[in-house]
Amino acid sequence: MATPGLWDEAPAPAEPPARRGAGPEEQSGPRVLSVAEVTRAIRDTIRRSPGLSGVWIEGEVGQVTVSSAGHCYFTLKDEKAQLRCMIFRDDRMGLPLEPRTGIRIVAHGRVDVFEPQGAYQLYVDGIQPAGVGDLALQFEALKARLAADGLFEASRKRPIPPWPRMVGVVTSLSGAVLHDIHRVLARRWPMARLIVSPCKVQGAGAAESIVRALRRMERWTDADSGRAVDVVIVARGGGSLEDLWAFNEESVVRAIAAHSRPVVVGVGHETDVTLSEFAADLRAATPSVAAELAVPDRGQQRQHLVALQSALAIGAAQHVARTRASLHAERRALETFRPAAYLAVERERIGLLLDRATRALGSRLHGDRAVLARSGDRLPTLLRARTAVARASLTHSAAGLAALDPFATLERGYAIVRSGDGRVVVDAAGRTAGEVLEVRLARGLLDVSIESVRDSGT
Amino acid sequence: VTDTTSTPIPGDGALDADQMAALPFDKALEELQRVVSRLEEGGLPLEESIALYERGAALHDHCARLLDSAELRVQRLVDGPGGAPRLMDLRPDDGDDL
Repeated sequence: MATPGLWDEAPAPAEPPARRGAGPEEQSGPRVLSVAEVTRAIRDTIRRSPGLSGVWIEGEVGQVTVSSAGHCYFTLKDEKAQLRCMIFRDDRMGLPLEPRTGIRIVAHGRVDVFEPQGAYQLYVDGIQPAGVGDLALQFEALKARLAADGLFEASRKRPIPPWPRMVGVVTSLSGAVLHDIHRVLARRWPMARLIVSPCKVQGAGAAESIVRALRRMERWTDADSGRAVDVVIVARGGGSLEDLWAFNEESVVRAIAAHSRPVVVGVGHETDVTLSEFAADLRAATPSVAAELAVPDRGQQRQHLVALQSALAIGAAQHVARTRASLHAERRALETFRPAAYLAVERERIGLLLDRATRALGSRLHGDRAVLARSGDRLPTLLRARTAVARASLTHSAAGLAALDPFATLERGYAIVRSGDGRVVVDAAGRTAGEVLEVRLARGLLDVSIESVRDSGT
Repeated sequence: VTDTTSTPIPGDGALDADQMAALPFDKALEELQRVVSRLEEGGLPLEESIALYERGAALHDHCARLLDSAELRVQRLVDGPGGAPRLMDLRPDDGDDL
């Protein structure tokens, strides 16, 4: 029995046009359908065809686009026809490979109609590389086994050290990969040392060679510092599934998972997936991205340093301002009561410090402003404003200091008395007859000895 | 005998220029961040905060110098006698696996 189709149920409709489902007695003349009705009918027909759901279709991948929502659209074609295909974002995550233009794949899914566009397409829920079904099966089986062993657990992932001094690279010396990594590190973080442990990355013996290179990296420590590398990059350029196969070998995946240092893996292009990546502490789309992820960026560090420098100057300037305020208070006290010599000494000491601070901060802030000017828009306006405030308060401090020259007090006839250990003497108690003291006058020093000690009153 | 030296001011920043030159970037930056936090917390005597400031400024200059002047060094590991890895300079015609 034939599946009932659109045209089966199109007996000549009556006039005016009847809706679908209207009784046959109303028919007279052609029935007019809405676009939605036809599309719905086509959809239903396709959905009822057992040969169009749960099918495996082999073809070459044409143009691939990924929408902002993360769904993937591509065409599958052969010599005679094309088929529109789409993969929902959630289905993409579980696929062993992503469609890439030019590769032959076997796609699994169902054909359905997307009514708003009147388009039929294959909704893909599974992909295997065509012709390498065995490898794909091996991949899936090993992936399941290693996952069951916990090798891909998120809890195993170690953080990448923020400031690596030595970056290990496991890759081939031939080809562009090492050059690409070198270029990225030279730009971003040239303070590091790049230590290459070379290996074959494809062909017979590649897996053993990679494992050997990883072990070599593990056993080596720097003779001077005794340190091992801070992070290891495992990298290889793009290639076919067979080319990349060494990075799916169990020995390599296990060596990466068990490595003593954090490992970043960047193998192939964005769309290539290897089991090594799952075992890595950090997974990168390409070798260059792996290098970017392994080290910080010195441009950002420069900005960070400028911010720290400003914070430093502001912090110190605030101390200076606070000290200036308390000096003013002391000075008022000095004028109200009889000044004690130790105040002058304190002021001498603080005056010298403030002088030193003002000079240091003054030149520093000057430098800051030059740096800030160079940094331009990249620096938050806030920082510039804060530096200006700090600078203003410093200028203020300097003016206050000039009015507080401690030597002026000595000029007025006060003296600073120090004991033999250099401490300022402010109390007669504890002094002994015969002890030698140093007396500092406005000009010159006296060594004097104590005749007798009286009460420590005023 | 009378000691006529005055009380020394603590925290002369220029004490350890050699130590500073040998300080790796990460250590210097860590210390600089600590210095800034302590200064920002406040509550320190003036001598200490000035000494801290000077230390911080030296650390900053050191970090900036490292950032600007560093050149990436590239070396390779080879299996030495007895299996201990040795470090060698990288030559353009080196093969992958010795």
